[in-house]
Amino acid sequence: MTLIMSIVISITFLIVRLLPGDPILLVVGDRPTLEQIEKAQNDYGFNEPLHKQYISFLKRTISLDLGVSLRTKQPVLDEINKRFPATFELVFFSMFISIIVGLPMGVISALKKGEKIDVLFRGFSYVGLSLPVFWLAMILQIVFFGVLNWFPLQGRYSRSAFHDDPSIFHSGFIFLDTFFSGDLSSFLDALEHIVLPGLTMAFGVLGLLFRITRMTTIDTMDAPFFRTFKFYGFKDREIIKKSGYKNTLIPISTVAGLSFGLMLGGTFLVESVFDWPGIGQFSVLSILTRDYPAVIGVTILYSFIYIIINFFIDLLYVVVDPRIRV
Amino acid sequence: MSVLIPYISPYNQDITGAVHFENAGQAPSFSHWFGTDAVGRDVFTITIRAAFFSLKIAFGVVVFSVLLGVPIGMFAGLSGKRTEEIIMRITDGFLAFPPLILPLVITTILGPSLNNVILGITASWFPWYVRIARSQSLVISSLDYVSISMSMGAGKLHIIKKHILPNSINPILTQASIDAGYAILTSAGLSFIGLGAQHPDVEWGLLITQSRAHFLSHWWEVFFPGVFLCLTVMCFNIIGDEISQGDRI
Repeated sequence: MTLIMSIVISITFLIVRLLPGDPILLVVGDRPTLEQIEKAQNDYGFNEPLHKQYISFLKRTISLDLGVSLRTKQPVLDEINKRFPATFELVFFSMFISIIVGLPMGVISALKKGEKIDVLFRGFSYVGLSLPVFWLAMILQIVFFGVLNWFPLQGRYSRSAFHDDPSIFHSGFIFLDTFFSGDLSSFLDALEHIVLPGLTMAFGVLGLLFRITRMTTIDTMDAPFFRTFKFYGFKDREIIKKSGYKNTLIPISTVAGLSFGLMLGGTFLVESVFDWPGIGQFSVLSILTRDYPAVIGVTILYSFIYIIINFFIDLLYVVVDPRIRV
Repeated sequence: MSVLIPYISPYNQDITGAVHFENAGQAPSFSHWFGTDAVGRDVFTITIRAAFFSLKIAFGVVVFSVLLGVPIGMFAGLSGKRTEEIIMRITDGFLAFPPLILPLVITTILGPSLNNVILGITASWFPWYVRIARSQSLVISSLDYVSISMSMGAGKLHIIKKHILPNSINPILTQASIDAGYAILTSAGLSFIGLGAQHPDVEWGLLITQSRAHFLSHWWEVFFPGVFLCLTVMCFNIIGDEISQGDRI
């Protein structure tokens, strides 16, 4: 894991340094003064040879010193920390939806292979995989806000709901905060706000999870042990419920890990459509204002999160399948 | 179709950026099938035209990824343990970036343009081809007839040309077809952030993005380019699935 992380840092370094473009401008912004340039040259050691710069970049990144954002003049790490709960809630919510909807759909589809419902679900998953998320987000806004007015257009909560009591907002995780303070109306308000962005993000991943579930379930139903059980007179559904599902867990968790990457990428788009105050929206704003330290910081951090999640999923294999040893 | 559109559409001047404010913001009708946008351009015409640029990105990404990834992968598969290990770890490093992030950084630094988008997406996609090509060459070079050919003194290049390439075409084509779809999706996403193709290389993502200012009341400007995009990506996905299923039988 550390090896992969250092490779990620190295690739980022190479991209930043070897692609055309003045690295000093990356740090000081578009219209620097002469003093700014000199200061940056000293601060970041651009005068030094490349390998020394590389080592210092490596050191700084490992100690999570991601530099200072040009736009907000705050350390990038603080900016990200502040926005982390919002993004975490969104990703967690949509992952939850896609798992509880995608897996049953896949199993049903496998059980009824070739029937109408299977064709319907497969078509649905193809659409989910082929939709651009930001387009889906805008269409959902048109339908559920513009036409039906069921859900709020954007944001994470209504201003009025939190206006009178900022103290409930301490940990940043709206759902936990409102839940434990017993503030039901604010809790529901936050829930109302997360539905549209959550569904948007869930849609593509749902298709992915559905496909892998369906495929592995069908493969399992072809396995000799499955046929043996069938001769004993068990029904398909019973066998899957009692033992067949175990065979599907490993491929499904692999795909779930990969789809986290998809979601992290999706946060950029979905958060900016729904004005969701998370890391993705922060990075889009940084990109638009050419705030390079922030962009690079988010890149490295997202890659780390992705690597860590997949590392834990690798560990999960051992739990799911006792035959695998670390 | 998208190449022909300048000749068949009655509103062909719209492609080059004609402005008709008197027709702005019309809903779909018989004269404008998909309605008109904020400056009065026919949405049908510009949607079809955008297909050209989206497909250009898709093919660019796939071709470059294959050209870059397949030779590296085959080289890794046929060379010694240590070289293979190094190449594969670097490849894993590229794959450790969540999709969309690497193209995003690259286009941020190089500046937004159609070609940089192709470059950026290629950088995040070629590792898959390295992986496929490597595993294929590992599997195939251990087959009996290939090892016999090797023992008769056939060189690496000969093995690749005669045995590995013909046997790897199917999995590579499958991947290529699915990736063409993803490339379109990713480039649309980049456009949305403001890092994608710029005017006049308007692809579908940019078209959707342009309509953002007033999309709640002008649904047709958002809806139709998205439907076209979705259908195209879906086609690529289905083609990919068909190829891989043919492989299985």
